[in-house]
Amino acid sequence: MVRKGSGELSLWLADQLSDQIDFEQLKLGPSKEVGLQYMRSLTNSDTVKRYVVVPSYELKDAKAFEEYIAAFPGTVRAEDRRTAMEYVLKGFAMLTFASRCYLVDAVKVESSGIGEAMNESIVQGPRDAFSENIETNINMVRRRYQSPTLKADMLTVGNISRTTVAILYDDARVNRQVLREMKKRIEAVKIDILQSSGEMEKYLTKERFRVFPTMIVTERPDRVVFNLAEGKVVVLINSNGFAIIAPTVFSDFFTAMDDKIQVPMVGWFLKITRYIGLFLTLTLPGLYITFASYNPEILKAQISLLIAGSRAGVPYPSFMEVFLMLLMMEFLTEASLRLPKAIGPTATTVGGLILGQAATQAGLVSNIMIILVSAVAISNFIIPLSMMGYTIRVIKYIIAVLAIAFGLVGIVISVVGLILYLSGLRSFGQPYMKMHVLEFRAKGDR
Amino acid sequence: MLNSKYFYYLFLINALINIINYVPRTLINDRFAGALPSIFISMVVGTMLLYGFAKTISHFGGKGLPEIFAERFSKIISLPLLILYSGLWFVAGIITMISFVDITVRFVSPDISPYAVIIGFLLVVSFFAHLSEESILYALETLLFLFTPIILYILIKSLLSPDFSWDAVMQVITYMWTKPKYGTVAAGTFIFSGYFNLAIFNRCFKRLNTRYIWTIPITGLMILLVTFLVPIGYHGTIGVEDHIFSWFSTADSIRMELFIIERLLFLFYTIYLALSLVSAVIHWHVGLELFKGAFGPKEGNSGFKKADWWILGSFSLLTVLIMSQLDQERLALFGQWFLNVRLVGEFALLAVILFVRIRSVKKA
Repeated sequence: MVRKGSGELSLWLADQLSDQIDFEQLKLGPSKEVGLQYMRSLTNSDTVKRYVVVPSYELKDAKAFEEYIAAFPGTVRAEDRRTAMEYVLKGFAMLTFASRCYLVDAVKVESSGIGEAMNESIVQGPRDAFSENIETNINMVRRRYQSPTLKADMLTVGNISRTTVAILYDDARVNRQVLREMKKRIEAVKIDILQSSGEMEKYLTKERFRVFPTMIVTERPDRVVFNLAEGKVVVLINSNGFAIIAPTVFSDFFTAMDDKIQVPMVGWFLKITRYIGLFLTLTLPGLYITFASYNPEILKAQISLLIAGSRAGVPYPSFMEVFLMLLMMEFLTEASLRLPKAIGPTATTVGGLILGQAATQAGLVSNIMIILVSAVAISNFIIPLSMMGYTIRVIKYIIAVLAIAFGLVGIVISVVGLILYLSGLRSFGQPYMKMHVLEFRAKGDR
Repeated sequence: MLNSKYFYYLFLINALINIINYVPRTLINDRFAGALPSIFISMVVGTMLLYGFAKTISHFGGKGLPEIFAERFSKIISLPLLILYSGLWFVAGIITMISFVDITVRFVSPDISPYAVIIGFLLVVSFFAHLSEESILYALETLLFLFTPIILYILIKSLLSPDFSWDAVMQVITYMWTKPKYGTVAAGTFIFSGYFNLAIFNRCFKRLNTRYIWTIPITGLMILLVTFLVPIGYHGTIGVEDHIFSWFSTADSIRMELFIIERLLFLFYTIYLALSLVSAVIHWHVGLELFKGAFGPKEGNSGFKKADWWILGSFSLLTVLIMSQLDQERLALFGQWFLNVRLVGEFALLAVILFVRIRSVKKA
């Protein structure tokens, strides 16, 4: 191994990391001959202060200080560039003496503030969620993404709140056009108070009338890291445990982090299940209206009779029934969300079981309707990211309304319209929905 | 710039949609008088047209017909030409939609007003006809990806059914050596007409890859034979002429014993409605862009411009008017007339684009 001069190593490191906002370098000692370099977000500044900075002034010369550092537990000699970079990105502080460099263990581990992911829980795999502190969050990302190409740009948004906003990206992989667009849009945000990522996401999109989220808002660092490696841009906002990822495609919203962990076949199966769930939750209410009121002949005779028989006592048309029950379901979901944890289960039991049972016995809604509403609700919850879940909850009403107007035709029209609409959307200039499965290059393509 | 596979999708959607645009009807009317040889002739003619046009326009990478014309012709020539072709392609969309209204009222919802249905169609088609070319192609790919398996299922189901009479098919095949007619050839070549959309969609192809173009005549021939022969297999050589939309009647004769929907018709109807709408969106997009291109160069594709609304609005109105004037018989006649005129138009267009190409080569 080629022994590099200590000065050169230190200069190289400074050069590599100079455009990182959290990179810090100092000269220590009375004669300022010892160099100290570290990443602020990764290194415990208290350790550095107490065990490195203070002794450097107390010991009589650099030689003694070097001996002191070398004897430090966990200290590594920086042999070459690779080790130096690796350890500095881990959170070690690098000390440069006249002849050699040392890496001192001062890793900051933020564990107290890190909670478990609540909204995107998974079965296996990492459970950490982002905390409310942006330094901690950057630390969490860096710990999982130890590459010198990971860059973080800091901005401030909000006239009063002065919220720190960090743009994270992998310099080697990022789509420049998206990055430029993202910076431009963040700089253009002119508001007083910024408190949450959801709010930020709203200011970052241009379209005023939109239903579909074109950015992912996530609380999972592993999702962020995964997307960084794909060349996407991540925006972190201080005092908020959510990150924004852009650009996104439609299928991103149907990917749980579980899919990476599962056996491939199981992963595909789960993915397909989600799309089937999506299709069901969107079309079932509309189909019920169609089958009950427009085209009972489409179904097998037995099933049509079953629906008609179940609806025999119901005193109003099918769409009233559908809207009544769907609205009840929305109320139930919203109520159980806002209620204190202790009352939540009671509300769902009363609402779901007793109300459903009583409503059918009273003849207000048919039995099949109750089954259908539960099926719709459950298949809605299958969507891993809640933002898309909310969107789908809205879209199914549009399809139901079109089914009232046109029957089967309305459902087909709305599904085709939906696909066309999604294909027309762009997320930071990138197509929002296309068949990524069919991406291959034929011979002779240019 | 997009992958060339999207060109094949454009071909495929037009080929699949032939059932709605009276191709089987025209062929079946002449099943004893030249339909079968016409199929083979139209395969050759259609492929030639397709190959000629695709190859020539691929030299003008990233440019649509209006841009190409603007460079080579004065406005006096290009304006009527573009408006003519724009009209032709608008009519293609109109026929698809009006026939589908007829199918809807006849097969699925007899109690629904045809005007309500057409307004529903027109809303979707006009609303999405001014998406960008890329967006429409993405949607097309998605829909084809979703529906091709079901179409294959329907095809296999229909061919394996014991009710399918191979004797009737053989009977018709014996009429191979009859004199072909222009009308049936025109109908047959409609399968290959998807290439015409390149007039606008060439904007998204930098250099069209024609390497796999040999798949097109094969696919086209298969589709034509299926289109023509399967209804005959179900309704018999004579009975088949009683049906205007022979394929829908055919689908209605097939049962899915083990599914919650028993009649295959509804599955078939759903898929074809979706495909027709996309096809109409594509046709109207081409029509719209050609129409706008006739008057001025293409400006940015963003936003809903006023001119778009006026053009699409008036064509929507025209659609409703045409629909109110046509009964089923005359609609079928109208559809067949369109097929006939279209073939002439395609030859003329190929001649024009070849002329442009030769001139630009000479200049260079």
